[in-house]
Amino acid sequence: MSKLNETDIQGFVLRGYNLLFARYFFLHFEDAARARRLIERLLPSITTGQRWDSGKPQSTVNIAFTHRGLAAFELPAATMISFPVEFQQGMRARASILGDTGRNAPEHWDELWREGRVHAWLGVNGLTPAALDARSAELRKLIDETQGAIVLDWQDAAGQIVDGRATAKEHFGYTDGFGNPDYLGVERSSQPGQGKLMPDGSWAPLATGELLLGYADEAGELPVAPIPHILASNGTFMAYRKLHQNLATFRNYLDEKGNLYGGGKEKLAAKFVGRWRDGTPLELSPDGENSAVVKDPNRNTNFTYGTDAEGTRCPIGAHMRRVHPRDAFGFNGKLIDRRRITRRGLPYGPFASEEEEVSDSDDRGIVFMALNASLSRQFEFVQQQWIEYGNDAHQGNDKDMLLGNHGGSGKFVVQGDRSAANPPFVCSKLPNFVELRGGDYFFLPSITALEMIAMKLVDPR
Amino acid sequence: MPNQNGSVYGLTILSPILVDEKVVPSHDLQIRQYLATLPTGAGSPFAKSLGTHLCRLVVMDDVVYVGAPSIEEHLESKYLIFECNLDATGEEGLESYLRGLAENMPDQLDAIWSHCVGYPGAANVSGFIQYMKACQIETTFFFAAVNNKSVTESLRALQTQQAVADFIASHQGVEASRLQAEFVEFAAKLKAEPLPKPGSMGPKRDLKMGGRNE
Repeated sequence: MSKLNETDIQGFVLRGYNLLFARYFFLHFEDAARARRLIERLLPSITTGQRWDSGKPQSTVNIAFTHRGLAAFELPAATMISFPVEFQQGMRARASILGDTGRNAPEHWDELWREGRVHAWLGVNGLTPAALDARSAELRKLIDETQGAIVLDWQDAAGQIVDGRATAKEHFGYTDGFGNPDYLGVERSSQPGQGKLMPDGSWAPLATGELLLGYADEAGELPVAPIPHILASNGTFMAYRKLHQNLATFRNYLDEKGNLYGGGKEKLAAKFVGRWRDGTPLELSPDGENSAVVKDPNRNTNFTYGTDAEGTRCPIGAHMRRVHPRDAFGFNGKLIDRRRITRRGLPYGPFASEEEEVSDSDDRGIVFMALNASLSRQFEFVQQQWIEYGNDAHQGNDKDMLLGNHGGSGKFVVQGDRSAANPPFVCSKLPNFVELRGGDYFFLPSITALEMIAMKLVDPR
Repeated sequence: MPNQNGSVYGLTILSPILVDEKVVPSHDLQIRQYLATLPTGAGSPFAKSLGTHLCRLVVMDDVVYVGAPSIEEHLESKYLIFECNLDATGEEGLESYLRGLAENMPDQLDAIWSHCVGYPGAANVSGFIQYMKACQIETTFFFAAVNNKSVTESLRALQTQQAVADFIASHQGVEASRLQAEFVEFAAKLKAEPLPKPGSMGPKRDLKMGGRNE
């Protein structure tokens, strides 16, 4: 395939910015003409996928819309009904499919997400808090001047800085953010283990159509997309989920079970996820952390599960093995190539050291954003089948240890061997370590599509 | 070998549905209406007789014309399709299974098949068996949920798996002699447990599956 037009694709789609301070504004449009005027004025500020040859910018801006948001622009009905059903419905209506029930049910979400008034996500990333504030102030001014939208609310998120250096830690203490997939035509420094597994054991980029609309996907088909084609092309869909983390529950559970587990607390923490908390993959280093592996891009995502079919190194139900099973289901990994998602996101709320007293009611968690060409085939499948169910991994009804909506029941099996330091172990009576506080499905259009929306030129004929 | 996979038998039956313009609603619609209200899972009449792994009833109206260049064709009749995985070996096994159906759920069988051509009624057991076999077509490939395990064995295995998993989870780290004593007691109790009802061991989950989302 030819090179992608990076100037037409929003930068947020093509790469993780690694700018550690973020503010996500949630907008509501009241008047189509004024909303179009806002988009028109906003367009020069939207960060595209162009390479940053002269260094990182101070800040970035990107925008995405819910189906209701697109309706607020008065797009033609023939276009509006051509969007995939799950996007038209929105995430709240998909709760029973996603397992967002019980404590994760929409009635327990933040007010912002219960009301259903969110029309747009305006994402700002900054290199420093000052850069984030400055860019946010500019955008607020633009919104005020054009009267183009009401700012319903915003969500701040930020990575952890230790001794002046950025970390990729989330609140439970795990190093996050390894291994987003590579896609054909997307220029980035790729590393083995991030695309799709080939029969010879090498890794190749996934078809562009797994991420972007308008291109062939892994089945050689064009993903379901709205008409006209030019509105969809170079765009993608995003699932935005605010995931609250019950840090006190997590720490207490890990302490309690870590005392019982023969391999010790840190090893048990590693078994939950498939990586030691510093990020070392269990598959490559089952007995302890190894910073040389973590730092080596040729190794830190470069492994398979074929020689660990029993799960004695990385448990079969470990989070990482569930959501990216690599070759674990056989057929050289072919069964998972259409179930991959690109993850963006940052933690929110204060970080707490191990010694610090914490409570579940502290406002902390992670803003999880998944990008994919098909929400139902990719994000929803992973959430339903691999997080809230265990059949594909031969784990029966067991759910993902960390993300599962356990409600106090359920179990997680740590497979083991006969050695004293690696015994089999069962974690039962699982609480909800993570709770959903809201979110929605968004469409991230191309620059051309944004222009068409701003100029009222969307024509499905 | 067609129809047989280990001790599991794959049965496919195609019964032509009656055509009678004077009957309102038509026979096929009456079957559809009845099937729509038939309970599934543990409440299904097929769960009454041990031996049914899974089964499905479908009304086939016609072949669907999908447009040129295909040729427009039609079936001579509408058909009731009955697909079933059951515990049986060979013809004798099948006949004994069909006899079980006729004895355990005659009312439901009659409510469904009385709309089909030539159906003798379940009260005429040998006639019923002959009729079903006359409508049978070869099953060359069928879904093998369990290989070579009977419904009874599968139910017992599921019960045991669940109980043992719970026992392990609640006995980790327990001192060896106490563990042994409690395991002996547990094993005896488990052995005395009645067999779970067919259809009762399915997962209890509030996740909505099916269709294009599975």
